Amino acid sequence: MSEMCVDNPLVLMKDIVKVFPDGTIALRGVNFELCKGEIHGLLGENGAGKTTLMKILAGLLKPTRGEVIVKGRKVKFRSPADALRFGIGIVMQGLSLVPVFTAYENIVLGSRGTKPSREFVEKLMKEVGLIVPLDAVVENLSFGVRQKVEILKMLALNVDILILDEPTTNLSPSEIRELFKSLKKLREEGKSIVFITHKIREVLEVTDRVTVLRKGRVMGSVETSKTNPRELAKMMVGRDVELLIEKPPWRPNGVALIVDELEVMGDLGVPAVKGVSFSVNYGEIFGVAGVEGNGQIELAEALAGIRKPLRGRIVMNGDDITKLDVSERYNRGLAYIPEDRKVALIMEFSVLENTPLTEISYNKELVNRMGFMKIKRIVEKSMGIIKQYGVVTPSIYAPARSLSGGNQQKLVVGRELMKDPRVIIAVQPTRGLDVAATEYVRNLLVKMRSSGKAVILISSDLDEILGLSDRFAVMYNGRFMGILEPDKVTDEELGLMMGGYTYEEIKARKV
Amino acid sequence: MVNSRFTEYLVYIGNVALAILIGLALGALIIWLGGYDPVKAYTGLFETSFNPSDYYYFATTLSYATPVIFTGLTFAISSRAGIFNIGAEGQMYMGALGAVIVASMNLPSPLILPMALITGTLMGALWGLIAGLFRALRNVNEVVATIMLNWIAFWIIEYARNYGLGDPRRQEKTISMPVEGRLPLLVKNTELSMAFVIALIVAILVYIFMWRTKIGYYIRVLGAGVKTAKYAGIDPRIITLYVFIIGGALSGLGGALEICGRPPTYAITTAASNIAGFGFTGISVSLLGLNHPILIIPASVIIGGLLAGSRGMQIKAKVPLEMVMAVQGLIIIALSVPGFTFVYRRWRIKKALRGGGSA
Amino acid sequence: MPELDLLGGVLIQSTWAMMPILLAALGEILTERSGVVNIGLEGIMLISALFAVFVADKTLNPWLGVLTAIGIGAFIGLIHGFISVYLKGNQIISGLGINTFAAGFVAYSIEVFWGVRGYYTPKPEAKVPRLPAIGVSPLFLATIAITIVLFIILYKFDIGLKIRACGENPEAADVVGVKVELMQLTSTIIGGALTGLAGAVLSIDWLASITKQLPAGRGFIALALVNFANWNPLYGLLGSFIFGFLWTASEYMKNLEYFTRAIPMPLINTIPYIATLIVVAGVIGRSRPPQSVGVPYRRELD
Repeated sequence: MSEMCVDNPLVLMKDIVKVFPDGTIALRGVNFELCKGEIHGLLGENGAGKTTLMKILAGLLKPTRGEVIVKGRKVKFRSPADALRFGIGIVMQGLSLVPVFTAYENIVLGSRGTKPSREFVEKLMKEVGLIVPLDAVVENLSFGVRQKVEILKMLALNVDILILDEPTTNLSPSEIRELFKSLKKLREEGKSIVFITHKIREVLEVTDRVTVLRKGRVMGSVETSKTNPRELAKMMVGRDVELLIEKPPWRPNGVALIVDELEVMGDLGVPAVKGVSFSVNYGEIFGVAGVEGNGQIELAEALAGIRKPLRGRIVMNGDDITKLDVSERYNRGLAYIPEDRKVALIMEFSVLENTPLTEISYNKELVNRMGFMKIKRIVEKSMGIIKQYGVVTPSIYAPARSLSGGNQQKLVVGRELMKDPRVIIAVQPTRGLDVAATEYVRNLLVKMRSSGKAVILISSDLDEILGLSDRFAVMYNGRFMGILEPDKVTDEELGLMMGGYTYEEIKARKV
Repeated sequence: MVNSRFTEYLVYIGNVALAILIGLALGALIIWLGGYDPVKAYTGLFETSFNPSDYYYFATTLSYATPVIFTGLTFAISSRAGIFNIGAEGQMYMGALGAVIVASMNLPSPLILPMALITGTLMGALWGLIAGLFRALRNVNEVVATIMLNWIAFWIIEYARNYGLGDPRRQEKTISMPVEGRLPLLVKNTELSMAFVIALIVAILVYIFMWRTKIGYYIRVLGAGVKTAKYAGIDPRIITLYVFIIGGALSGLGGALEICGRPPTYAITTAASNIAGFGFTGISVSLLGLNHPILIIPASVIIGGLLAGSRGMQIKAKVPLEMVMAVQGLIIIALSVPGFTFVYRRWRIKKALRGGGSA
Repeated sequence: MPELDLLGGVLIQSTWAMMPILLAALGEILTERSGVVNIGLEGIMLISALFAVFVADKTLNPWLGVLTAIGIGAFIGLIHGFISVYLKGNQIISGLGINTFAAGFVAYSIEVFWGVRGYYTPKPEAKVPRLPAIGVSPLFLATIAITIVLFIILYKFDIGLKIRACGENPEAADVVGVKVELMQLTSTIIGGALTGLAGAVLSIDWLASITKQLPAGRGFIALALVNFANWNPLYGLLGSFIFGFLWTASEYMKNLEYFTRAIPMPLINTIPYIATLIVVAGVIGRSRPPQSVGVPYRRELD
């Protein structure tokens, strides 16, 4: 099969170069080929250029240089509409559906001329084995179902080359298994699939061939059956990826935080956290695992004081802080590292101006009695963060946006840790970082724990939770499904909990 | 290597210059279509605004720059917070009204000027506060709220002129500021008074406030988004109120200074005709000045020149003086598209490609 | 019974008062549904009103004036749409610019066209005739029809689904081949055309005059109405009646002595604006704007 493909690939991308308007070079001459009827993995770290390459194929971006040949014809797509005419469709990371439309409206959105009837969509659903409730409004559906809607949307447009960008990001293990089954079925029907991911395990599980990108260059393209995780990891990162996290034994030292029956309203007007209770000790990392969108963000924001809880109590260091505002909580030793760096940093501000962001509201040392900022103190602080946390920047006067993603995150983490907090809430602290930066941030969190701080780590990355936490909870639909220790739980139990079964239920059924 | 921030500033200045050129060029076209001579019109305009051989005209230009520095600062502060306070117009009316009220009160002479300025400032701040409350508490779009309040303020001063504060001898204006309450002129026989100096000082103070104080910092943080503000421990509603109160106070002071510092009437004339438009012109000034308190000063001089020269244009080329307002509109529209930024991006891509080839 | 006559008179007058606000709001609903915000309604109304008078007065044909106003509105919509959609300009600033330009341009043009300063009244023949039986304007019936058609297009037709998708999540529309930029530009042009029609209603139908302050804030009241109507044309119809009625009622009050004794004339003029503020402050929070409105859609990061 592969020999035939080499002579006549379905898609051939030659020497693709892409420079973004801000001057970043995303692709430095990439060759890529896709064969008919294969699942082709596109593997690489964040920032390797996977998404950019596929956006070019799907007509969302124009290459700065290079040529694209689809089904034997040289093409210059100006929009996704052009790509769809050649049967190419993309499902974007984080999904792109209209949240207020029903599943059916989303599926038929792109139709030309007469829109596909309900019967047609229902037949299509049965054929490919992707069943979704057509009349449900998308914002009420789980990420797993939304992913199916996305794929159906493309199939309804007669796509035979399907690009999926990190499709497993928000899915639970069982949903992932189901997705892979569907992908294999689509392959049998002659569809060709590009599967973008940074997870080696998934590539090995579902793809036929894999192309590895690193920093905008192809590091190799191999048949999946002829490779192994080690080889792929080496290609992807350029060194062994075994993360070196040294974790001294767990020495809990007194209760730092007690959360009691906490209930928090979400943005959609319904409670997102529905009665959560737990406690965290000093000298401990408490993990919160779970598929994104199950109330983790709302929980974190309630702990930080950004969201007012509907009900329940938060006690920190013995004091009830439920009614205190954000800055008073910061003042009492709480630090919060939010998920989105665009929230944690003001990209247009300089490194210096970002330094007092979460401290100026309570720290009297940064402001004089007239309300003027003490620039000298803030400069010292800024220099301190850069030095101590190895933030690479031309100067403290450079705008935050000019820093790389990894250095932006180091700046955020450094700023929060420099405040010498007692309790640290970190949400997805390594998202979008390369391996080196990930390792750095994880080690910092462990160091905080060892020095006696309480760390709450909220992450949808299971490996991160299992590798770092001393105890962790699995969150589903606003509730904790159980609080456990990482080495006392099986993958299956984890999967069930992420899918909505409590630990007691699982145990009871087993006994 | 060239400092990238510096390059970006050059690009911004290029954008501003380009927008002014586009505005003037399209303005010339409209003048020509209207059957007038654009060359004569612009000659008349610049001879009576930036004429190096007659300081009178430049003094007039600066006198027009004065009120629009204040209204420009109002818009600039709100822009920095991500808010569009286009209510400087009404806030200025209220400030002027405050000064007129003081003028009507027969206060001891040393008190008149300070009381007029304080009352005007407070009334402007109050008018801003009302808009701020609608925005902060009821989430009413501030564009809608401020425009409504502009109209309400307009009818309130019309009411005041007709009922109680009108000049008993001259129907078409309110009571004038008594001589003891007037600011000294900077240049004799011109309209340029100490108000201009006050405007310069205020612009510098606003700069210090925005970049050196905690509240100013908060205002700029709010401009980065409500989420970031909340994360920083800031209550966005309170900062929104600050933005409107300070903005209103500035325009209110600007309005009071028009009453205390502008010959010949030292009053509000029918339908606010002597102060109408300064509020909206402030938007042009602020945008030309990149919403920066210091850059607003040169921007106000450019726009002040257009306002001052409009009369000359009308006299020399018969072009109706409202034409300069149309030119301002064209400049704003042109400013909405950062033309040079596109060129700069192209250049960056090319540069990256060259660098990428060797690296 | 005089009270009934008065009420009847107010109701008929209200059909005029509601038209310009409703038409501009309908235009803005379409524009914002597609993801573009245009706060230049006031200016578009004003310039269209000017040209409506100019053409109707020259040709003595009001319908040519109406068509001209629609065309001018569409043209300004095109400029704003091009800036917003293709040049990714700042939509608020562009709208502010349109309003500023209009105020200057119309005052200038009144003098150029008619050699008078500030105010011009067209000849009676230039005015849109009333429908004989009920005494309302034929444009009122057209406005109602436009409301219903716009509702049906937005909610019952595929094209409406596509337009709304562009305002909610343009990327979702883009990846399935919807021409986002074309949808947005077209919607903005049509929105401008409807606002232009609103201008014609002001200058050659209802008020039959042109001044540089002719819309008197109605462009902004229309913006408030869009919000009040939760971006739905039918609620827009309802809301415009409330605003139109209040406007008319305040005009009537000026003729009634017991009102003018209680509230002096200039202050009665503030009623529509105060009412707008109160009504809008009361409803917001329950409405849900299109999620991507006002944000230029860019495929490339920058």
